[in-house]
Amino acid sequence: MKEYAVRNIRLCTKDCLCLYVCPTGATDTEDSIIDREKCIGCGACARACPGGAISLVPARMPPQQPKTEGVTAAMRRLALNKVKEENLARTIYNKNGSPLMAAVARSCRLTAEDIYREAGYMLPQSANARALLKEIALSSDKYAAEIAKQLMSLLPLN
Amino acid sequence: MKYECPICGYVYDESAEGAAWESLPDSWECPVCHAPKSVFKEVKEPEPAKKESAPKPETDTALPLTAAELSAICSNLARGCEKQYMDKERALFMQLAEHYSSLIPPADGDISQLAEAVKADADAAFDEAKRAALSDGDRGAQRALVWGERVNFVLQSLIERYGENAVELEKADIWVCSVCGFIFIGEVPPEICPVCKVPSFKFERGGKMQ
Repeated sequence: MKEYAVRNIRLCTKDCLCLYVCPTGATDTEDSIIDREKCIGCGACARACPGGAISLVPARMPPQQPKTEGVTAAMRRLALNKVKEENLARTIYNKNGSPLMAAVARSCRLTAEDIYREAGYMLPQSANARALLKEIALSSDKYAAEIAKQLMSLLPLN
Repeated sequence: MKYECPICGYVYDESAEGAAWESLPDSWECPVCHAPKSVFKEVKEPEPAKKESAPKPETDTALPLTAAELSAICSNLARGCEKQYMDKERALFMQLAEHYSSLIPPADGDISQLAEAVKADADAAFDEAKRAALSDGDRGAQRALVWGERVNFVLQSLIERYGENAVELEKADIWVCSVCGFIFIGEVPPEICPVCKVPSFKFERGGKMQ
C-alpha cells in the first residue's frame, strides 16, 4: 500500500536526521511539512527520527467502520441536543459576555463533533462525507455549493 | 461501599481506604481531578446484563440537517483533515462550518433552559445512546459517550454553581480541553485531562468567543 510520511511538528526536535536520510529531499521544506509530491513513502525518515516525530500514513484510507442504524440515530439525536445547547450558550454570551457561556458553547461544539465522528462522519474521505458534500453541492446555497465542489475534487473517495 | 468521581472515574473504595465515606470532611476532593466530594456517586453493583434491542429512532435522521448540525459536522471533518495534515481541505471545511454557523438563528431561552437541556441529556439522551452502542457492540460510540457524559456532568455542575453572570469568573482563567471539551477553571490547565487523558498543551484558553 502506498504510504507517505508526515511530521508532527510538536514532537520535532530538529535533529535533522530525516534530512540526511531522505532519498528525494521531501523532508527538507521551508514550512516543515514533508512534501507529499516528493515523498516516495520509503519510511527512512520515520526510522531515523530520534524524536519519533515522523509517521507513515496510507495514501488511501480504509473504509470507515460501519455503524448500525440504531447507534447512528441515537448519536445524531444527542448531537442535535448539543448543537442546540451550543447555540443557547452562545446567545447568552452575546447578551452578557459571560466567560463561562463562551467556554460552555465551545465545549458543546467539541462534544457534538466527537459524537458525529462516531455517527458516521469520522473520515473526510468516507462515503458518508462524500454524500453530504454532494448534497451541499446540489443545494441552492451557492456559496456552500462552490466550496463543496472544491472539496469533492480535492478529496479522494476511499 | 464504593464511590466514583463522575468526572475522571476515580473510585474511592471504603474497604481499601479503611475510612468510611461519611467520615470524610465536606472539603475532601477527588485526589485525581479535585472534583468536590459532593459530586461523587455511589457505585451500584451492575445489574445482570439484559439483552435489549436498540431503541427505534424517534426522529427521521434522513430529514434535512439544520445549519447548526451541518456546522458541527463540517468543523469535525475539518479536524479530520487537520489530523491528516491536509491544510487546504481543512480550511475549506472550516469555511463551510463558519458559513453554516452564520445561518443559525439566535436561540430563544436563558440560562435556566440551558441548565434544563444539559440535565435532560444527563438524565436520558446519554443513556439512550449508551444502550444503543452497548447492544450493537459499538465501542467507538461508547468511548465518545463516556467522554461526552463526563463533560456534560461538568457543564451541569458549573452552570449550577456559577449561573448566568458568573461574575466570579471575570478574572479567572478558563481552559477547555480541545479534544473532549472538559472545562477547567484555574491558572494552569491540568497536566493530563481528567476526562480524555491528553496532555495539558491540548487545552485552549476559553472564556472568549472567537
